[in-house]
Amino acid sequence: MNGTLVVAEHLRGELRELTRELVTAAQQLSGPVTVAVIARDPSVFDVSFQGVDEIVNLPLGQEEFENDVYQTALEALIADRQPQAVLLGFTVNSMGYGPAVAAKLALGFASDVHGLAVEGEAVIATRSFYGGKVDAELEFPAERPVLLLVRPTAFAPAADGGNASATEFTVELPSARARHLEFEEAATGDVDITTADFLLSVGRGIGDKEAIPQFEQLADKLGAVLSVSRPLVDAGWMPNARQVGQSGKTVKPKVYLALGISGAVQHLAGMKTSETIIAVNTDPEAAIFNVAHFGAVADLFDVAAELEKLS
Amino acid sequence: MARDPKYDILFEPIQLGPKTMKNRFYQIPHCNGFGSEKPLSQAYFRAMKAEGGYGACCTEYCSISPESDDTHRVSARLWDDDDIKNLSVMCEMLHEHGALAAAELWYGGPHAPCMESRCVPRGPSQIPSDFEYLTYPKEMDKDDIRQVQQLYVDAAKRAREAGFDIVYVYGSHAYLPQQFLTPYYNKRTDEYGGSFENRARFWRETIEQVREAVGDDTAIAVRMSTDMFMGESGTQLERDCLPFVELVDDIVDVWDINVSGISEWGEDATPSRFYPSGRMLPWQEAVKKISKKPVLGVGRFTNPDLMIEAINEGKLDIIATCRPSISDPWLPRKIDEGRLDDIRECIGCNICISRWEIGGPPLICTQNATAGEEYRRGWHPEKFDPAENADNDVLVVGAGPAGMECAMILGKRGMRRVHLVEADDDMGGIMRWIPQLPGLGEWARLVNYRKIQIDKLRNVEFVPGTTLDANGVKEYGAEIVVIATGAHWATDGLNGCTHDTIPGADAAQPWCLTPEQIMRDGKDVPGNSVVIVDNDGYFMGVSLAEKLASEGKKVTLMTHLGNIAPYMHFTLEAPNQHRKLHRLGVEIVPYHIPSRVEQGSVTATHVYDEEGHEQTWEADAVVLITQRRSDEALYRELKDRIGFDALGEEGISGCYRIGDCEAPRLIADCVFSGHRLAREIDSENPEVPKPFIRERRVIERELALA
Amino acid sequence: MKIVVCVKQVAVLGDEVEFTADARDVDPDYLDFALNEWDSYATEEALRIQEGLGGEGDEVVVVSVGDAQVEVAMRRCLAMGADRAIRVDYSRPADPITVARLLAPVAQRESPDLVFCGVQSSDAVQAATGTALAELLGLPRVAVVTRIEWDPSAGRATVRRELEGGLLDLTEVDTPALLTIQTGINQPRYANLRAIKQAEQKQIEVVSPAEQGEPAYRVRRMFAPPKGEGAQILAGGPADIARRIREIVEERLK
Repeated sequence: MNGTLVVAEHLRGELRELTRELVTAAQQLSGPVTVAVIARDPSVFDVSFQGVDEIVNLPLGQEEFENDVYQTALEALIADRQPQAVLLGFTVNSMGYGPAVAAKLALGFASDVHGLAVEGEAVIATRSFYGGKVDAELEFPAERPVLLLVRPTAFAPAADGGNASATEFTVELPSARARHLEFEEAATGDVDITTADFLLSVGRGIGDKEAIPQFEQLADKLGAVLSVSRPLVDAGWMPNARQVGQSGKTVKPKVYLALGISGAVQHLAGMKTSETIIAVNTDPEAAIFNVAHFGAVADLFDVAAELEKLS
Repeated sequence: MARDPKYDILFEPIQLGPKTMKNRFYQIPHCNGFGSEKPLSQAYFRAMKAEGGYGACCTEYCSISPESDDTHRVSARLWDDDDIKNLSVMCEMLHEHGALAAAELWYGGPHAPCMESRCVPRGPSQIPSDFEYLTYPKEMDKDDIRQVQQLYVDAAKRAREAGFDIVYVYGSHAYLPQQFLTPYYNKRTDEYGGSFENRARFWRETIEQVREAVGDDTAIAVRMSTDMFMGESGTQLERDCLPFVELVDDIVDVWDINVSGISEWGEDATPSRFYPSGRMLPWQEAVKKISKKPVLGVGRFTNPDLMIEAINEGKLDIIATCRPSISDPWLPRKIDEGRLDDIRECIGCNICISRWEIGGPPLICTQNATAGEEYRRGWHPEKFDPAENADNDVLVVGAGPAGMECAMILGKRGMRRVHLVEADDDMGGIMRWIPQLPGLGEWARLVNYRKIQIDKLRNVEFVPGTTLDANGVKEYGAEIVVIATGAHWATDGLNGCTHDTIPGADAAQPWCLTPEQIMRDGKDVPGNSVVIVDNDGYFMGVSLAEKLASEGKKVTLMTHLGNIAPYMHFTLEAPNQHRKLHRLGVEIVPYHIPSRVEQGSVTATHVYDEEGHEQTWEADAVVLITQRRSDEALYRELKDRIGFDALGEEGISGCYRIGDCEAPRLIADCVFSGHRLAREIDSENPEVPKPFIRERRVIERELALA
Repeated sequence: MKIVVCVKQVAVLGDEVEFTADARDVDPDYLDFALNEWDSYATEEALRIQEGLGGEGDEVVVVSVGDAQVEVAMRRCLAMGADRAIRVDYSRPADPITVARLLAPVAQRESPDLVFCGVQSSDAVQAATGTALAELLGLPRVAVVTRIEWDPSAGRATVRRELEGGLLDLTEVDTPALLTIQTGINQPRYANLRAIKQAEQKQIEVVSPAEQGEPAYRVRRMFAPPKGEGAQILAGGPADIARRIREIVEERLK
């Protein structure tokens, strides 16, 4: 068994940043790193990042993802390359075929992995359990490859500037039993902050009821939904449906951008499992910085004004 | 769970003169309606806070002499040895929990009408009280001054004998010592009036004498208002109070700092409608900057983060609470145990205060149904006896204040399963839209707290989005059914003045609306001119007037009463509410009752006009706040159409009604209603409240008349 | 017509945690249990389809892997209206592939027309058991489904697959099939007390576990996650901060 096979993640013609992160993840293990691009036309995706030793292009006869097709493609790659580890992103597409490959080939398996290491010959993965409240190190069956779905944002993206060259790999692909028909954009319905991918959340720091429209506008421009911490609901500036917190709603968006929220315990309880938390507050000791992934000690109005300009 | 270390400062002991307080939680003097003459109600009430972790608990204002008699309002009294006996129970119970006991020695001067004692109060100058306008004081000469100071000394000794650790020389709220300090009350030309030193003399001497009498083993507290907001004639921070602090700092063990006079003491006991927590911190900080002694004060502090901020930023040494200690006597313990989401936060409605202002009744609390019931009903806010009939499933229909409270307490009493079923998609009932009225955002805490508690209770399930009819209730599978379906505002103008409907009033019309149509249903208020017909007496009329006027409408607020929202006088919200309405140009029309309403106008007559001359107001919209009607249809169907016997055959052993659907009432009483039923669900007949203890003297005739 | 719904009783951890002596799991005293949220949506969807088709003898069967404790969660599904429940008796923590191996023979035996699993469980969040099970059963599958229109006679269903960023992928899948069900697909019904009491009385069939082979992983150490190293500080003036925020947002929303 040798090296790590990374399957590039792409959607609707765009390579996902996650692919770079998978390459970085692969570098925590031993042996060469091979990136496989499974797509209708793999050559449109440039995956020659630093740390990539080899690129394999596997062309498909179709544009869009179908799980039977990708499963067959990956199984063929694994048979051909005999990797020690196979890394996919923890994405909806990969959920549709990764575990099937693992079950079929009796591989080691774990998903939502956010840490990777190698000890001698053995791969050690770290993932969370019990709703993200604890972490665990996992060992895998010896002498079998391990297939892992890696959490987005857990690893830094690999930079450009590698010099791997690509080879073609063709596989006879089945017709899919689950077939893509067409895409639909999601409907924008009533505001439900629990289903928003991106929340712009404001707190007491905005000072005044009159400031609310400005932030509603900013949220709009950013493509975010506006949510608030409790003091604003207490003061009657916003309805309870917008409240994030223990007595409001618990949210887990992809991005939670908190402006002027200090991070009271009850508020943190409602948002601390958000995938990416960015906090802006003038108080460097604000509790929100304990859960934030990114923080800026700055005036929220200044930052808001700049964000507005960029939109 | 463990205490968050950032709150450690709240649990550090502090020295108050000769006494050590075990932490920074202090229950400031406040009324409860019990005084010295309901000594067990008094003691149990105060002790609950000590059990809950308070480092010190105070009496309410404690009269030092029959000349300081506030009847009909209830104060404590230390007039004689029997009062010592009665108040000593409170001290003992506080000490058992490691808390200090404080007596707020009070002499009201002209503000005390002495309606029971029939004595004559003394004051610095003979001007009738601005609070009790028929009460005149006797103008004090030097003998009077010595005698009144002696009254303080004697009372302080009684306090010590009763077991109090701290005695106050209380001046705040414009009582006697502060009256001497304040030009508004003190027009004297002798050495007790005029210059600062003179105006300060009475208070200073009194403190000195009390200190001499008891100060070696009792802490001396001074409660002072640092700004009466009356300009030059009132007490002022820089001119009077900071110099006073400097003058007597050495002989005071602890400062209790607030603001306001007496006629608008809502500036001190701030309603959440107008002020956020911590309103008085700037004044408290000013005193703390120049005093070497511990400084405490209130500010409706419910949030431990605000508490530590006040201490860490050097504004207060001790966090005092009044209303938050009523809504949750166990606040300190819950912070200590890391149970912040169990804190039942004060909503600042001032219902507790309103009972004292009315004069006579015991206090009640919207958030805490057990406040005042610790002794007379034996209710503990945190302890619940398992129900004897716990092996039953309960259906509670309606998740408003009564339903939520009932379901929560039934859950805490261990009922096997409790289903709280609600037609709406979330808990709250009327409390979903009432907090949307101007300024009432904090009232939503009533729902917040119960939501969190019910979520934690494994045996209570909240079932939203479900409307049950009588058959649905019958077939639900519960053994006990509680109906809590609330009430609605009359749509036909039925009112308590004429006991009749108002001709033409019909809220089905687009121009005629009720409060819930506007707030809950989003019904449009058409046009520009609105006449609000308010026969209610509490906040609904003025809140909607404020809301609609802020939205640009021309608002007329009409009431049959002489005064608008009279109950808000008792909650201390009236002055600022009146100012708001005045600023917004709301036209207030008292003493009028509509004789008819129609699209475009309201015609009304003056209630005292025997000839009934009619006057007409333009009204694009008419809002009816005439009276409420119980939503009792479901209950009536269950009782009258299906019948309790038939329900019995389905296994339903009890079907009860609570809250507004029985009879419309204050929110606090809805919560009480749900609470009581849950506490007594295993009594022989839960529908009828069990008797409560009345502290009264029972005459054994033969013995008494012998 | 039969739909098998695989359900899980998930563990809920509060804010306090202690680990077992071997440090490979959490001390069960600190755990609370509940029906997996996704599985209540899956059960509801199965019930709706059954009600929609309105046939005689149609069944919704819930299957779960676990010890007797998990029957509490299964009874919630019975109270909602599921017809039967089968428990595979197994008390050790198990990885998703192992669970799929334990579920497969039971699902196979039932010859279902559809198999539903929740997208993921709220405690382990592997989002893998369904897809693995489909493989073992040889069934076509679609993961993360938010709408189902099934035509049993045509042997086909049109489903909506929910991708990142709210993008929906309309997919046609041959049936019988296994679908993993996403939250929000419907509004799960509440069971009244009568239904709950009736569910208490129902017999749950218990079967012995089949051969599981080697587990897909072994927990070697479980521990409290290190306190956040703190937020990555965004430096510079407001303009720089705003620019960085925009970059991060764009990346994360892809």
